Amino acid sequence: MTWRDGVLLAFKGMAGNKLRAILTMLGVIIGVAAVIVLVAIGQGASSLVTSRIETLGTNVIFVSPAGGTPFPASEAAMITRALPFPTLVVPEMNTGAKVSTLTASGGAQIVGTTSAYIHLGAISIAAGHFLTPLEIAQDQHVAVLGANQVQTLFGGSNPVGAAVMIMGQQFRVIGALNVVGQGPGASQDNDIFIPMTVAQSLLSTTQLSQVTVKTSSPDQANLAADYLTNFYTNAFGSATAVTVASEDQVLQTLQATRATFTNLLAGTAAIALIVGGIGIMNIMLVSVTERTREIGIRQALGATREDILLQFLLESMAMSLSGGTIGAIVGVGLVHLVPVLLKTPAVFSPNALILAFVFSTAVGLFFGLYPAIKASGLDPIQALRYDG
Amino acid sequence: MIRMVSVSKEYPMGSEIYPILEDLTFHVPKGMLTAIIGPSGSGKTTLLNLIGGLDTPTHGQYFLNEQDVSHFSREQWAHERNRTIGFVFQSFQLITALSARDNVALPLVYRGIPPKVRRLQADDALEQVGLGHRRLHRPSQLSGGQQQRVAIARALIGDPALILADEPTGNLDQATGQEILELLQTLNRAGKTVVIVTHSAEVAQACRQIIQIQDGHVVTVAQEMERVR
Repeated sequence: MTWRDGVLLAFKGMAGNKLRAILTMLGVIIGVAAVIVLVAIGQGASSLVTSRIETLGTNVIFVSPAGGTPFPASEAAMITRALPFPTLVVPEMNTGAKVSTLTASGGAQIVGTTSAYIHLGAISIAAGHFLTPLEIAQDQHVAVLGANQVQTLFGGSNPVGAAVMIMGQQFRVIGALNVVGQGPGASQDNDIFIPMTVAQSLLSTTQLSQVTVKTSSPDQANLAADYLTNFYTNAFGSATAVTVASEDQVLQTLQATRATFTNLLAGTAAIALIVGGIGIMNIMLVSVTERTREIGIRQALGATREDILLQFLLESMAMSLSGGTIGAIVGVGLVHLVPVLLKTPAVFSPNALILAFVFSTAVGLFFGLYPAIKASGLDPIQALRYDG
Repeated sequence: MIRMVSVSKEYPMGSEIYPILEDLTFHVPKGMLTAIIGPSGSGKTTLLNLIGGLDTPTHGQYFLNEQDVSHFSREQWAHERNRTIGFVFQSFQLITALSARDNVALPLVYRGIPPKVRRLQADDALEQVGLGHRRLHRPSQLSGGQQQRVAIARALIGDPALILADEPTGNLDQATGQEILELLQTLNRAGKTVVIVTHSAEVAQACRQIIQIQDGHVVTVAQEMERVR
């Protein structure tokens, strides 16, 4: 039997029992579509991280205390003095808190900081203004709301001038932020910014959560990171008392996490494909039993062991490849729908498509092999007598 | 064409060995029309399977076309059957999912003949058995007699020298059986060696050589001339 005859026979076999073929292919269709969609979602998350690197630049480092290391508000001024070149130093103290208006309530990340925060470039003002040095110096109870907070507490309408209750104290809203979106780490969309001086009295502590340092170039950021690492190692006698991480390092860690996430998704989808393959094997075994007599007839007419093996192997591969093709079409279609339906970025990966195809072919070959070997090993006399 | 020398066939069943055919020696000349007769369970079908290479002898020698095929492998037999032997079975053994034409063309698939040529030859073979007009019908759409004609067309499409028929009229009414027998006789007159396993005295009478089997032994081998005497 020629390969061409084998392929023709395989597709004829499928066409002869369409419903069964489609149901059998379903596992592979779902598996391949899942690989393509899940990898696209993973890649989408990664590309968001990359785009954040581009907007923020890599000239930012984060300094934060580990465990119980004392890290008072004065540390910001200390860092400014310690570095031999001009930098933008922004202290932050964070806490989660319940917030409410007369009509709505919810949770928020309260960030006590200085007016310099806005110059880090991570956020932008949509309405009103950010904290001013004067408001901070006067310990004014004012607040700037992240986009999600505007949505939760004010239904999306302009909140400037309105009042909001934070930890039992009333604050006046002076500004609202544009949407930042999901990126590496927590998004500022859930944050409420208040003067650091007010945060200190509200939380009854001067301990900072983090200090962000922005330099004028990535090289200078690396230099500053090295400098501060040395500085704190000497000060505390330990390299781990204070963590100094450049934006670059943080993002690299996040990239690695995203890659693991993508691999995990792809792995899950691969399991779906394997289950699909087992479905194919199951049906091919049924098919071999049902067609025992046919196999006997073919053997009597001159089919060799190899001919029968090829016939059944090509049939299972035709099924897995057809399933793979349909799955690829469905998957690519879904990749276009995911951003609309789930509001999550998805980036189509040609590699995932190739991987899915190679994998589905391999699944057809692997899971088709046993039924095909079984068919080709049948005894012609027994097969011809089979009364199924 | 067929020469068996002291051929035996045994089947193991558990620890016991059951002889089915014992010490068979006979000769079927080329171009002969031969009937193998005998009671049920005498080993007729096993003998036909040995002749067709669907089974192999336990002992003895089998010469097909003067070639010793006693120790042929499965693959060698597959090639030999495809080129030298045409089978006709009692239960027709057509593939139900295929049209008459595709069923008939099947032996050519295993010769690597291209589809177009196969179709032409299959149509030609179906014309020869008077079923040219039913070539696109499935076996289930044909009568028993018509199905057996399709099977005969399939047996002759590869132009084999030997046609083996196992109770070819067994599932047919008398008139249709007679037609099938005439068809086999016609093929024999055209030069093919035809071996028929049969219960039917009528079919046996129509043959020029009769091999009678009983309890796994050849009882008599009678040629036409001897029978006339």
